[in-house]
Amino acid sequence: MRRHARISRALAAGSAAVVLGMTLTACGSGSGSSGDSGSGEIHVLVYGDATNKVEKQIVDTFNKTSKVKAVLDTIPGADYQQKLQTIINTKQAPDVFFNWGGGSIKPFVDAGLLMPLDDMIAKDPGLKANFLPSVFDTAVVDGKAYGVPMRGTQPVLLFSNTKVLADAGVAAPKTFDELLAAVQTLKAKGVTPIALGGGDQWPTLMWFEYLYDRVAGPELFHKALGGDKAAWASEDSRKALGMIKQLIDAGAFGTNFDSVKFTDGGSPALLARGKAAFELMGSWEYSTQQDANPDFTKASLGYSSFPTVAGGKGDPKNVVGNTNNFYSVLKKTKHPEAVAEFLKLQYSDEFVQGQMAIGNLPTTTNTPKFLSGAANPAYSTFQFDLVKAAPSFQLSWDQAYPPAAITPIHQAVQQFFNGQIDENGFVKAMQALPSS
Amino acid sequence: MTTTLATGAVTQRRPASRAGTAVTRPGFAWALPATVFFVLFAIVPLVLVAVLSFTRWNGLGSPEFAGLDNWSRLFDDPVMVKSLWLSLLLTLLGVAVQTPISILLGVWAAGNQRNRAVLSAIYFVPLLLSATAVSVLWRALLDPNFGIPAEAEWLFGDGNLFGTQTGAIGVLVLVGAWQFTPFHTLIYQGAARAVPQVLYQAAAIDGAGTVRQFFHITLPQLRNAIITSVILMVVGGLTTFDTVLILTQGGPGTDTTISAYYMYQKAFKGFDFGTGSAVALLLVLVAAVISLVVVRLSGYDRMRSTTEGL
Repeated sequence: MRRHARISRALAAGSAAVVLGMTLTACGSGSGSSGDSGSGEIHVLVYGDATNKVEKQIVDTFNKTSKVKAVLDTIPGADYQQKLQTIINTKQAPDVFFNWGGGSIKPFVDAGLLMPLDDMIAKDPGLKANFLPSVFDTAVVDGKAYGVPMRGTQPVLLFSNTKVLADAGVAAPKTFDELLAAVQTLKAKGVTPIALGGGDQWPTLMWFEYLYDRVAGPELFHKALGGDKAAWASEDSRKALGMIKQLIDAGAFGTNFDSVKFTDGGSPALLARGKAAFELMGSWEYSTQQDANPDFTKASLGYSSFPTVAGGKGDPKNVVGNTNNFYSVLKKTKHPEAVAEFLKLQYSDEFVQGQMAIGNLPTTTNTPKFLSGAANPAYSTFQFDLVKAAPSFQLSWDQAYPPAAITPIHQAVQQFFNGQIDENGFVKAMQALPSS
Repeated sequence: MTTTLATGAVTQRRPASRAGTAVTRPGFAWALPATVFFVLFAIVPLVLVAVLSFTRWNGLGSPEFAGLDNWSRLFDDPVMVKSLWLSLLLTLLGVAVQTPISILLGVWAAGNQRNRAVLSAIYFVPLLLSATAVSVLWRALLDPNFGIPAEAEWLFGDGNLFGTQTGAIGVLVLVGAWQFTPFHTLIYQGAARAVPQVLYQAAAIDGAGTVRQFFHITLPQLRNAIITSVILMVVGGLTTFDTVLILTQGGPGTDTTISAYYMYQKAFKGFDFGTGSAVALLLVLVAAVISLVVVRLSGYDRMRSTTEGL
């Protein structure tokens, strides 16, 4: 009976979204509606988590000097995307909202809901010039800027257990061939060379993102994203797939990676307990390990950039991952000038210091001034330099594509890794993706 | 639940009002709240879903009429067809695994020794846990490197349970059975308690042993309970969602993407509410047809009493 009740609830949820859109009142801490004219308020909607601390502080700072007051609204984590989608075209829509750039705002841009920031930037070039270009570009859609970076960057790095590497006499690999050699040595020692949380699917995707970038450069993916299906069938695409296959066949990931998850601590534990030597993961691996295995993190958590590929077209300095989060502005906001002033605070010293204090790494040009005050200056500096020097910072594929593509991408990636589809199957699956 | 209540109340009162003795019509008034809620939360959403299934809607703005687009694409979609088969397979396996176990446990728990009462109380604990908590728990227990498989390699091999279709389906069936067998046991316990003791006494006098008594008295007497339990399992099995969401996420690939999860993927992950609604409606139709067939074939609709002729 309980299950029966649940399905009717699910059905209700599906259809009630219509009703919800009409009745949903302002969420989180704020109240009132931005739709009421002359209220002298701008609503700022963010993903609810620990970082809200800094966002609250910035809003307070803004309200000290501004006539138009900013109100911070939060929606708890897991529901953010769904609820945003529900309210963004209603009276309850915020003036400014948190997003991931790329595909996450593309549907809103297509629906004509967002304000291009080009005019604001023309008046105040600092709104663009004060951010690292590779990051800023993520929120550029159809040649127009739609967002300003507002949290910390999350590049994907190759983490390692330095003790395991030392025991096996292996150095952190600089090239793909060195990585393959390391895999052989580590396997002989009875260690799983690379920990992979394949059960979550997105960690598997990271290997595709990096190898495609190294082999073909960022252009291949940009073409594919733009609707050029031939890009997936190109020689470079097949070469990258071949290299992934080479790693899998060499036993780099062991045989049970699809039963391991990152999100429940499975793959980080493999690395921390020395059962695996490497893990390719976003920069949050550091705080994850720090939280679960502080001793290991201090003593032997290593990190390096992704190996280079001989003869590859991609710049070895390119990175992939989540570039940052962004503030985008709704076209119908009543106070564009106030919004412009509010956005300026996202590169202020106060903002940078606040983010660094809670372990985030902002992507503003003034960040280096404060690196020495970070929780782990060496790690923060490494990350910042990597992102700063990167000619291209590729947003994760599943976020660059529109939401309808997320599931098919994850499925194709998982099936290619476990051998359910071959190269042709993968190419076909990617060609079938909805390219916005 | 609400329908039975509503119609029950109406039919009971009908003769009175027909006879003209009732001043007001209390029967209808009593049924009104339930009817309103049923219409509001079951009928209206169902109609809305049906309408949505003929539209294109990503949650922004207003839905656009799309004709039969969603439906025709759905029938060409290999994943959709596969998901229906997977739903049926999971349901069948669930019934096959849970029914014998819960009959045996239910009959056993219907006894009257003290230790049975305590043991069966403990046994019902899984039913009290949310399916989400249960799934998270099992996911951790079955971790190939740090869970049970790591300790019992002779049985699990490399422990890649979630990486193969057989393994993933096996886990889903196991977890479903672990959580819901107690519920069905409860049904059988109640039914077994209702079997008239005089039948067993007569059988004992005729020299029938425990096994014969079970097959010739208990089992036939449980007929209606079995049908009730199977229908609940079928409806529950076809709409399984949370265990799949947490344990397998429809993977590996699309190997455990059952229809209810497919609906979620389409509507809430891909923001394609039109197709999601079509999947949902298809699932409702399939579940309704299967339930009707079970009811018809089993003669449950005629509701013959198991105590007839006693």
